[in-house]
Amino acid sequence: MSKYSVIGTRLQSIDATEKLTGSAKYTTDISFPNMLYGKILRSPHPHARILNVDTSQAERLAGVKKVVTGKDTIGKKQGVWRRFPDLCDEEILCRDKVRYVGDPVAAVAAIDEDTAMEALSLIKVEYEVLPAVFDPLEAIKEGAPLVHYGVELNINNTRHIEWGDVDEAFRRCDHIREDMFRCSSQAHACMETHGAIASFGYDGKLTVHTGSQSPYYIQVLLAEMLGLREGDVRVIKPPTGGGFGSKFELDSAQFCASLLSMKLCRPVKIVLTREEEFTATKRRTPMYYAVKLGAKKDGTLLAKEVRAITEGGAYTGMGATALYLTGFFSSFPYKYPNYRYDGYRVYTNTAPTSAMRGFGAPQATFVGESQIDMMAEDLGIDPMEIRRKNGMAPGYEVPGEAFIGSCGLHECLDQIEERIKRRGKLPANRGIGVAAYGFISGGIFNWFDTPYAFSAAMVRVNIDGKVDLFTGAADTGQGANTTLSMICAEELGVRLEDIRLHVGDTSICPPDLGSWGSRETLMNGSAVKMAAADAKRQLLEFAAAALKPNIVYDLDIKDRWVHLVDRPEKGMSYFDAVKAAIRGKDGEAIIGRGHYSPHRKGMVSPAFSFGVQAVEVEVDTETGQVSLVKATTAHESGTVINPIGIEGQLEGALAMAAGYGLSEELPIHDGKIQNGCFRDYKLLLAPDIPETEIVEVETYEPEGPFGAKEAGEGLTNPTAGAIANAVYNAVGVRITDLPITPEKVLKALHEKKHKKPSEA
Amino acid sequence: MSYQCPTCKKISATSLDLARHMIGRGDKSHRDWINSKGLKYSELLAMQFKSFGGEGYKALAEVLERDARMPEQG
Repeated sequence: MSKYSVIGTRLQSIDATEKLTGSAKYTTDISFPNMLYGKILRSPHPHARILNVDTSQAERLAGVKKVVTGKDTIGKKQGVWRRFPDLCDEEILCRDKVRYVGDPVAAVAAIDEDTAMEALSLIKVEYEVLPAVFDPLEAIKEGAPLVHYGVELNINNTRHIEWGDVDEAFRRCDHIREDMFRCSSQAHACMETHGAIASFGYDGKLTVHTGSQSPYYIQVLLAEMLGLREGDVRVIKPPTGGGFGSKFELDSAQFCASLLSMKLCRPVKIVLTREEEFTATKRRTPMYYAVKLGAKKDGTLLAKEVRAITEGGAYTGMGATALYLTGFFSSFPYKYPNYRYDGYRVYTNTAPTSAMRGFGAPQATFVGESQIDMMAEDLGIDPMEIRRKNGMAPGYEVPGEAFIGSCGLHECLDQIEERIKRRGKLPANRGIGVAAYGFISGGIFNWFDTPYAFSAAMVRVNIDGKVDLFTGAADTGQGANTTLSMICAEELGVRLEDIRLHVGDTSICPPDLGSWGSRETLMNGSAVKMAAADAKRQLLEFAAAALKPNIVYDLDIKDRWVHLVDRPEKGMSYFDAVKAAIRGKDGEAIIGRGHYSPHRKGMVSPAFSFGVQAVEVEVDTETGQVSLVKATTAHESGTVINPIGIEGQLEGALAMAAGYGLSEELPIHDGKIQNGCFRDYKLLLAPDIPETEIVEVETYEPEGPFGAKEAGEGLTNPTAGAIANAVYNAVGVRITDLPITPEKVLKALHEKKHKKPSEA
Repeated sequence: MSYQCPTCKKISATSLDLARHMIGRGDKSHRDWINSKGLKYSELLAMQFKSFGGEGYKALAEVLERDARMPEQG
């Protein structure tokens, strides 16, 4: 029998019914009396100086209430990296220069969307078009156009990681490989586009309804950019239709709607179109890699050196974090004794790149897992064996960077190997590829420079036993609301239906850094567990008077039954205990508080998840088309809180990551994204998704609530690498440039066929 | 042995670490100091891009070995 009554049970998401019946109100569904509609005028040029903006004709159009430009702002630049002012480089409404096709120049509020659109066409912007640069390898050359004044060679940010003696270790290697890789961009492709309704009142207070991964970040950034106090900005997050890294930075809809509302003291709603979503919001970071890997004959990996140059686009966003994490995860999940990483993020005149599910790790894992297979083949070693020989294990310290507490990588390898063997001999042109991976359970970094705890929660137990849980967590569809409610119910010893959740409102919820870096389960979950434990302790103090244990710690609550731990039959009803406690506290409701910030847990994360994925593909050698046949993932994320939630994450991650591996990219011509719609942007569709098998490997993570850790982003890491290895195993061609399109496969097959014997 | 950044006074354990710091910061004051020593910031970066082995850092570290070493304590 499970020691838990809530955790580990297969529970439907607490907001599933609301969403499935269509009664959930997303930002786009909300409207207010007297509300206006906003639209944003964007730059048609990748790089140009703004000489003049004439809004007079637009302002005269009937129905137009206000037009704002950069001159209407207080001239601040924003960014999440507030600890480094140089990296806060985005004005949102440009005053002097535009730096990519889509950079906002003006915004209009009108009585309806059509009028606002017509007004945009009446705004006359005089530009001086400047030379532009689109490729990071061109942007770092002497004489390249500078995207930002004074930023030499367009280097936005550099990151360096090193341990051991890399040069000496390479001298000891029996075999060294040097390979180049390129990883493409990817759109977040959220079902809900960015949008906001801003309402500024005559009381000087701003309320913004917006789908977001971090209401707290948006509150703080809006206050800074608009010259308001944080407490005068209230952000309310309605149900949010996906984030995947795209919705925790301040965006043009939130800022322009707020600015217009402040000028008019009327609600203003801006919802981006799908085309704007593709071309004028941030995207996954494209990266070039040069990787040198050295090993002994027996497959022991001795040294690795990685250089990455990333396409930053026009602004920093969260790209500096992706630059660091791609370097950190280039060492994962192996015990390299000697490792060096140099990463350079380069400004270009393209749409900014930033965080996206996996945060630099999918790129690193594609590169690393491709090269591990290449090394194994060179050495004549089984790919599973080289991974097993070098894989991380519990208690390993990534030198100077992180400590690996729980780690089930080897169990995952065993599970996957067993399943591969079961597949037996495959037909022609079929192959199975494997990739191992790991990921953070929340980042330790505090570049936002908040003095608040990373996560906080409050629990209030009411007279009828109902529990109000307040947290700043942000559910964007991944199931955090359900997970956190389950943690609260388990700790307090009540049922899930006893919990009433309050989230997504900065005026009543404690600050939380938000939903990014796979942090909600471990970090917010720890805060929730602490708050529930605090409330439970107060209840038990009063229950102890009735049950008379030796000490209060001999009492516990499970499934609404307060009891002696060693004599569970002796106890009292939870509801009676609540009444006794509230009566005993002069009628005051029971309030528990909890908070979490990682302490002394290294530089990166307090805990890491691990896993191994095997993907079977079939390659059509006539067309180059790669079809997915089966995907099996053994994932280790500590204690499983909600099995259904993890299965959903795994299946969703596979679809997103397989798209990254096979078909999704954002080609740019003269600075303009060429496929800004779902007709041209090739997401995988339901028929493309293969049979999936999920193997949960349970471990216990001491830092996580009930031993749990992440199961969100890490799952996007392995797929592109596993597909690349599977294609190689199927038809013998190695694609090192994502996505693995039919054209690339066909070209590689052609080259292989016509290779001279001496080159083979 | 320790080394002090001639620009922002940050202390590093090795000249190579200090070189990484200075190139990594890359702001005007750090660039100006590097350029004043007859090196070129942009060339050091280019060396980093073009080859394995951290050659750009090593070139600056040689200068820092001479000009940024702190006197031994006690």
